[in-house]
Amino acid sequence: MAKVAYYPGCALNERSSHLDRSARDATEKLGFELDELESWTCCGAVPPVSKERIMNLIAPSRILKDVRDSGRDMLITICDFCYNTLKRTNFSIRTDDIIRKRVNAFLADDTPTRTYLEEEKSPWQEYEGEVKVVHLMEYLRDELGYAVITEKLKRSLKGLKIAPYYGCVMLRPFDEIQLDNPENPTIMEDFVRALEAEPVKYPYRTECCGSYLSVSSPDASTRLCYRILSSAMKNGADAIVVSCPLCFYNLDSRQKVVLDAYPDFKTIPVFYFTQLLSLALGVGMDRQGFERHYVDVSSALEKIGNSGERDKA
Amino acid sequence: MTKPSNKPVDELVPIFFMGKRYDVPASLTIQKALEYAGYQHIRGCGCRGGVCGACGTVYREPSSYKLQVGLACQTVVEAGMHLMILPYYPGNRSIFDIEKMKGTGSEIAALYPEIFKCIGCNACSQGCPMDIDVMHYMAQAIRGDVSGAAETSFDCIMCGLCASRCPAEEVQFNVAILARRLNARYGKPRAKHLAVRVKQVEDGVFEEPLHDLMKLSTDELKQLYRDREAEPQMAEDDWTPQDARYV
Repeated sequence: MAKVAYYPGCALNERSSHLDRSARDATEKLGFELDELESWTCCGAVPPVSKERIMNLIAPSRILKDVRDSGRDMLITICDFCYNTLKRTNFSIRTDDIIRKRVNAFLADDTPTRTYLEEEKSPWQEYEGEVKVVHLMEYLRDELGYAVITEKLKRSLKGLKIAPYYGCVMLRPFDEIQLDNPENPTIMEDFVRALEAEPVKYPYRTECCGSYLSVSSPDASTRLCYRILSSAMKNGADAIVVSCPLCFYNLDSRQKVVLDAYPDFKTIPVFYFTQLLSLALGVGMDRQGFERHYVDVSSALEKIGNSGERDKA
Repeated sequence: MTKPSNKPVDELVPIFFMGKRYDVPASLTIQKALEYAGYQHIRGCGCRGGVCGACGTVYREPSSYKLQVGLACQTVVEAGMHLMILPYYPGNRSIFDIEKMKGTGSEIAALYPEIFKCIGCNACSQGCPMDIDVMHYMAQAIRGDVSGAAETSFDCIMCGLCASRCPAEEVQFNVAILARRLNARYGKPRAKHLAVRVKQVEDGVFEEPLHDLMKLSTDELKQLYRDREAEPQMAEDDWTPQDARYV
């Protein structure tokens, strides 16, 4: 089976390991393996606002250099924040000579200098942004093709109305990310269609869910989540689909607080895109970790019912 | 018998301790060289064998701008080196009751929330005299991988040099020992043979030689000590004493 270098990111490693598992299950069904990097650190989760903060670029650069040094030229991530951080760091290295030189000066120091250690066999080579950073959704669209997913469906999601939620970092800033139109994107809608579900359009799909404000100013995040979720429901959505573990946390777990703050609010199930994908490809319900969701997903799953089951070899 | 010569058998090289020059034999470790120069180690010296972590040392050589680290008891002096022993580096240590924990990554995060400040600069690993991938075990702790952090940090001797280098002010070695304790208590199965041995000890199975010794006079004890069988300097791994009743 073809292998693609895979960076899970910290959130998906233990705390949301069910999301990581669904991604691995799904890609296996699609005929390729997510090959986790041997050793990796946190990417930093947020790209530095000021690029003068060279220290914050070192960890993501090292991750990318390790991929290059292992002889691979592509890295898949399934988290919007990791995607944004890694891709923008790579962009800086590709486009800014001074940043590239300064970052590499630190990476060159990585090898310990103690005399009793064996010297590195492979010669040091400056990292120049050779690796291509792709979101799994992007890989499915551009490398595999959404048509292949539809072809391999085992369980159609027909009858389910899904509101894609993009959040803020998957698409922005456009000149660095270049994934889709940041104001009028279609990548997730097309993904939902590939699973034969119906995408729901609503005005808040590219608005922020509060992100890290969830920690420092939870009220602000509660208000934002309320707007996003109720807008999706007003437009007829049975469920939300997200591609970022922090959005997932905010939109799912925060519904508990939203319920307390807004008496008219009704809960709505939230799925990670890999969960819907692996479900549609025939992976069992028991491998999705739905019991770890705050909002019960059964109302959405009932809409699919058994009518969607397909008998394709 | 010839009188031992006072002439050093070794070439003398200059080293700078706290900025002061001392000429010391070139083959000595930093620890012995300082004793040669007249210092007496009261703190900052423990096992003298590279495992206790008391003599972490930072130094620079004339040929490089780079800060080097080593253990004073293991690192041989080099001509022109500037050095300082850091026997202790201040580190906050969280208080916990391991019996009331569950062994999860979130418990490490709760006791040391500053781990999330790590920016992955790798200065800690470069500063580790035990060649531990410190940054990697911190990354594992950050993502809640308790057993991974425990395994990666296994060789840690708690010298504290990692913390001395950290721009995020982490105390890596205390995070690491918490991970190892949680892993030992909750991640690993209990050792069955240990319970058996503890029971034997409690039942007094090994007390006979003690009782024998207590019956002896001072002179008999001295004689016994003089006649004792010592383990050879370069013993094989499977070496056992003649009297192996209690081994």
